[in-house]
Amino acid sequence: MGNSSGSISSLLRNFRLRSSDPSIFIALLFAISLALSSFWIDPYLAYVGTSWIIFGLLGLSLDLVWGRGGLLSLGQTSFYGIGGYVGSIAAINFAPLTGNSLIWALPFGAISGAILATLVGWFIFYGRMGSLQSTILTYTFTLIVWTITLSFTTEIGEAVVGGDNGMSNIPGFVLGFDQNASSLSPNMMFLTVIVISAIIYLIVAFIVRSPFGMVIDSIRLDAVKAELLGLDIRLFQTLMFMLAGAIAGIAGGLFGAWANYLNPSIFSVQEALLVPIYVLVGGLGTLIGPFVGALTVGGLSFWLGGGVIGGQTTLVMGACLIVLVIFLRKGIVGGIQTVFARIFDGSEVRDQRSQQTSQVRVNLDLLEKLQASAKIQRDATLKTVDTSKRFGGVLAVDSVSQVFEPGKVRCIIGPNGAGKSSYLKTCTGAYAPDSGMVLYSGQDITKINPFERVKLGLGIKMQTAQVFDELSVKQNLWIAGYGNGLNKERADQVSDEMLDVLNMREISTRLASTLSHGEQQWLDIGMVLCLAPSVILLDEPAAGMSKEEKRQLSELVRLMAKTATVVVVDHDMDFVRTLDAEVTVLHQGAVFAQAEIDELRKDERILDIYLGRRESVTNF
Amino acid sequence: MELDFLATLLLSSLSSAAILLIATVGLAVMFGLMGVINLAHGEFIMFGAYATLFATQIGVPYPLAIVFATIVTAIFGGIVELLIIRRLYGRIFDTLLATWGLSLVLYQSAVLIFGTVTPGIGLPISNVQIGDYSISVYLLFLILVAAVLIGSLYWLLTKTSYGITARAAIQDRETASAVGVESARINTMTFALGSGLAGFAGAILLPAIPATPNMGFAFVIKAFLAVVAAGPVTLTGTVAVGSTLGMVGNITASFWTSVVGDIVFFLLTITILRIFPLGISGRWRLKL
Repeated sequence: MGNSSGSISSLLRNFRLRSSDPSIFIALLFAISLALSSFWIDPYLAYVGTSWIIFGLLGLSLDLVWGRGGLLSLGQTSFYGIGGYVGSIAAINFAPLTGNSLIWALPFGAISGAILATLVGWFIFYGRMGSLQSTILTYTFTLIVWTITLSFTTEIGEAVVGGDNGMSNIPGFVLGFDQNASSLSPNMMFLTVIVISAIIYLIVAFIVRSPFGMVIDSIRLDAVKAELLGLDIRLFQTLMFMLAGAIAGIAGGLFGAWANYLNPSIFSVQEALLVPIYVLVGGLGTLIGPFVGALTVGGLSFWLGGGVIGGQTTLVMGACLIVLVIFLRKGIVGGIQTVFARIFDGSEVRDQRSQQTSQVRVNLDLLEKLQASAKIQRDATLKTVDTSKRFGGVLAVDSVSQVFEPGKVRCIIGPNGAGKSSYLKTCTGAYAPDSGMVLYSGQDITKINPFERVKLGLGIKMQTAQVFDELSVKQNLWIAGYGNGLNKERADQVSDEMLDVLNMREISTRLASTLSHGEQQWLDIGMVLCLAPSVILLDEPAAGMSKEEKRQLSELVRLMAKTATVVVVDHDMDFVRTLDAEVTVLHQGAVFAQAEIDELRKDERILDIYLGRRESVTNF
Repeated sequence: MELDFLATLLLSSLSSAAILLIATVGLAVMFGLMGVINLAHGEFIMFGAYATLFATQIGVPYPLAIVFATIVTAIFGGIVELLIIRRLYGRIFDTLLATWGLSLVLYQSAVLIFGTVTPGIGLPISNVQIGDYSISVYLLFLILVAAVLIGSLYWLLTKTSYGITARAAIQDRETASAVGVESARINTMTFALGSGLAGFAGAILLPAIPATPNMGFAFVIKAFLAVVAAGPVTLTGTVAVGSTLGMVGNITASFWTSVVGDIVFFLLTITILRIFPLGISGRWRLKL
């Protein structure tokens, strides 16, 4: 018994490239059984059920944006509605020529939904809006589109858009290419919609497992870190939003063909509210969840409440949403997955957690070899000219001019609040300096985005260990290798090599969140090394490390300094002393002194500002 | 263009900015002091309007009915905080979704109880003549109301112990709780305050905007956009954005339709957010 369940679990684990992989097979089983049911169920049920599948497709578009991309969009129904209108207008005009209506409704629906979503996404993502701002913006967008459509009338060819009166005479589901081809029976319509939805689901499931999906996941988990790996997160997010808009648009086209009639209520708040309900009932981020949710909600209102447009649907749905967010966090699919995980992986998870955290042993010889063959710019420099940064009344960085070159490690020290991190952040692009310039090998990079700096050759490790919690060690390194250049082969190779450098091959499948603090620091450093940077900025890299780990880190930093420019910000004096570095002391935002560490140790003034009093000299 | 037309346009723009401010401050207070966006804000306004209507129908004079509606809506808001919002602490998008559900529950309940048409309050509206044009005295009065409202809110948040602790709690929750601020109680009070302000808006605007289940809808687009465009310094930012955009929206609406006004408002907001991603007050040194 134990043996067989063990082999099932290892089988499942082999499929689990990504954490929720078996779901794709379950989803297909689900789709096939639904499809088979279309041959025997009652035609009326098939007719109503078709709309549930369409709503599930609409839910999928939200699940992609929200569950994967991390943005709660309340605007998916506007892409859905526009897709429905545009697709139906195309079908009304062209379907009489070809017979088949879907070849017009679906592409036109997809393209119009995608275009609109791209526009909205461009504003949100390229504007780098906060997440709450983005959600509210999508909500007001829905409200505005609704008010516009209530009074919008036009005639496009044969199609009459009549404002509140809606648009009728939309061709139904016609598949035959013949001017006399007739509409499908309800059962065949049900089957067609299931097949189309299953294809779209598979495409989305494939994309989610592709490098693109991996990038989207990493952006959701930590957008700042993703950008520090050289990823243009705005582009990826906008593309993801465009894809979701296309899916919503297709759902809209299908809905128009199903209803043969559209009116502005498709854009209404009541309609929009249903979409997150489908997603939450089914399970956020599961992709198949929205279909399960839509079938559940539709089925319940069909058998209990009397059809799709029950008397007090709005009241019930509003209350449902409140109850859902308070009590049901994972949804139906999420709940099933938890149960599965408990049966198959429970022991494994516990083992991982209880494992003793092993000391990290870095393979510096291998790193040196890799470094020698890496294509990096050997003489890259980083230079700041009179860089200043002000926060309200505080001058955090006071016209700091520095030149960092390869060959010798450079350290920046100073007491708390001296402006070390703020200065570093003006170099990385997290802060825009109020005045002065930042130059990379002579090129002005003062105004460019962090990811563009990384692409030039900057490698940045922030103060706290930034790793993608829900991704494995290997996936973390893979993303780091992929970010710079978007080359899949390079990412495979670099992440594999880095596993050996960090000696993390044994724990390569563990989730980053289960690592100890020190291991996370090493993983983060490994991710920076995956970028093959020419200029490396490290903010307190030794924090949380043991004495032995600090020794290895020191060796690693000195090794990197042979070929690259390395700047270390730290106030761990023991660590800084081992780096054999030229040290810059910051005090109240300005450069106070600059010399070898041993010279600085003799400087009484520095001891005064740094330690506040003379008695602590021995610690320095 | 004639001078009297311009004067009328200016006054009507000011008054519509005032209406927007009155309808928005409750939302701004909740967002600024709790970090919560209440999507049911429009329905809270509606709640206040119906409460006022109810009070006047049983014979309470209108000014007292306003007080009654404000208090009733505040109590209702406090109950909502205790039953729903509190459970969703720190889950900002779940809070958003729950209040969205609440907004539809309130809307549909109002449709069920009151129907879609309701009698007006029947307050005599007098006009003043400006050249060839006339403008309602009540609308001019609302400009004064908005000014007094903002002034007293400023006093409440800077001079009273509630205001100071509430602002401390949102700036640094841990430090605030370390010095004995009960943030849960403060949040209930803040949500009640924001709700009460919404109720007040519904009540004071009743002579200008009759009570209907979807009356909140007229405000929410502009209100949400104003708060979002305002940014972290919510109150001052909202006053600045709300009054400016409210006037611009009114001017465009008076030349075209109110839908165009909403669209212009929306486009201006996304332009503002494109330039200042955190809202216009993202770099201000003010803290309120």
